[in-house]
Amino acid sequence: MEKERFLSVDWQSPDMNSGAVADQLPRPFLDLGWEQPVHHDAKFESAISSLVSSPSLNPSSGNGSVVVRELVGWLGSICDSGDISQTSCYSTPLNSPPKLTLPVLGHRQQGGGGLPMPGNEMADGQFTGFAANPGFVERAPRSSCFGAWSYGGLGDQSGLPEAGNLSRVPSSHSLKSAGALQMGVPDNGKDASKSNPERIETEMRSKLGGGMPPSSTSGRTMASGAANNVSKRKAASRGRGKEAPLSSSNVNSPTAAEDEHPDAKRCKPAKTNGADKDSVVKQETEQNIGASQKKGKENNAKPQEPPKDYIHVRARRGQATDSHSLAERVRREKIGKRMKLLQDLVPGCNKITGKAVMLDEIINYVQSLQRQVEFLSMKLATINPQLDFDLETLLQKNMHQEHEPLPQQVYPSEGTSTAFSYAQQHQGSPLQSAITNGLGVGQQPLCPFDGLADATSQLGSFWESDLQYVVRMGIGQSQGAEFFSQSLHAD
Amino acid sequence: MESKSYTTGSRDNANRNLEGSKTLMASHFLRALFRIQQTSTTRSSFAGRRRRIRRAAYASMAYSAGTRRAWSRALLRKLRSRARLRFPRRLSRAARPQRGDTDQAQVLRKLVPGGPGMDYCKLLEETADYIRCLTTQVRLMQTVMDSISS
Repeated sequence: MEKERFLSVDWQSPDMNSGAVADQLPRPFLDLGWEQPVHHDAKFESAISSLVSSPSLNPSSGNGSVVVRELVGWLGSICDSGDISQTSCYSTPLNSPPKLTLPVLGHRQQGGGGLPMPGNEMADGQFTGFAANPGFVERAPRSSCFGAWSYGGLGDQSGLPEAGNLSRVPSSHSLKSAGALQMGVPDNGKDASKSNPERIETEMRSKLGGGMPPSSTSGRTMASGAANNVSKRKAASRGRGKEAPLSSSNVNSPTAAEDEHPDAKRCKPAKTNGADKDSVVKQETEQNIGASQKKGKENNAKPQEPPKDYIHVRARRGQATDSHSLAERVRREKIGKRMKLLQDLVPGCNKITGKAVMLDEIINYVQSLQRQVEFLSMKLATINPQLDFDLETLLQKNMHQEHEPLPQQVYPSEGTSTAFSYAQQHQGSPLQSAITNGLGVGQQPLCPFDGLADATSQLGSFWESDLQYVVRMGIGQSQGAEFFSQSLHAD
Repeated sequence: MESKSYTTGSRDNANRNLEGSKTLMASHFLRALFRIQQTSTTRSSFAGRRRRIRRAAYASMAYSAGTRRAWSRALLRKLRSRARLRFPRRLSRAARPQRGDTDQAQVLRKLVPGGPGMDYCKLLEETADYIRCLTTQVRLMQTVMDSISS
């Protein structure tokens, strides 16, 4: 099993790490990663120096190994290594990453001779450093941008252009350090790194600049700290076997990442059991690291995250991953959606941002609407007795006018009220005269709704066109008071 | 009253049901108005008539919304119980202390019928529908009044 191979190489045989750390270790696992960094030595160096903000690297020193070690040391210093040492993955006891940085830096400054001894520790340190970075744990198998992401996450984003190159290096290391990473990792990393160096760079830039969408995608799985997520991701990518597109998709857009999420989600129940062992190890690391890295990443990770179907929720990078916080986040998103709906309903709320102000506006609007209902009912009450309710008068009046009756079916109850409502709309003289006539006029035989029908046809839609249709249907039926009273009694 | 103002937003997805429900609301309200007008005499108090008209307005609102909405169900319940009992309500809906109970949320709960029984998320949803229905009702009443008074 490759895992054991990893372990054996990384942990149980530290002698391998000594000296040609970079040379031997990467080869069985991450040849891919190493080849490219070798080509981009200069870039690595510049990237490293920029990242670490330390003096110039020594280009002559063992190619990637130096770079790697330095990176590792740098990582170690930055990462919260204390927790890492506890993880079982990393059998090599790393005392303090910060200490490693010194030799790293010193080594770098020296120009690269004494790799072997410090290299050994540094190899360990590398692993711890990488392990410290939760991104590695999760990322390594999945995307080629592991290193870039992790480095960026660690804070120095100045080396963005070169960060992509670095990704391969750390990815290989992370694979090793993770130990529990899957077999597919090296292959994945290989493909990813080989095929998309440019994409990695761009991804890195975007990630580092924008809070790392890939980190969010892969970080999500990591940050979840759940074996499920970890196994899910692996299983999903393994199952699909599309590593290159996966990594690129991860990086390029959150939407692309979404594809794997549903898959990952689906794979979740299936793969959970299988991945428990390796995920457990990682889980600890992730949890430990995630807690420390949470604050920095949270803000970045959140905006990248597209809203999910709330049944399937993936934890974002750097966020708490227990079910409570996941549900909490889902709930918050729901509330956010509802608030947007309300914002559309309440006039003049487009510019308002902020829930409290929005709520105030909503409350004011509801109160004003209720007050309006009260006011209008009062006005209707005052008006009402004066007009002998207008339906009759209106109808009568309209009957007097010469309006063509519309052929209609009977729709008594609806017709009455809707006809009335449409009649209201008709502001023309017939209505007014009808109303004035209605004053003081008692019950009168109802004229047919013809006039109303005509009025409604002339109306622009008071409500909507279908209302008009209903009115027309109702109108024009039988004429006479009995029809009207019948409709009324039908209430 | 301009007709065009009434057609805005009537076709969007959220208001698919609104067109039919507007018809329902208008017819119900007008019928109720007519009934009130018929039954009210010169002796009946102005306040009583006003109260009846207001109740008719809310009833037509709830009737148009049907039982689909929590607020309409609560409103119908309140209207019917008031019509029958005229006593203090037997048992107001159990209102568990809700999450997200800011002051504003509590105020909103008092405003929206059925508020006390909902959690915050549902409260927002019901508020949106309630606002929609309220605006429709207000427009209807304004139209009625304008046509009457013009």
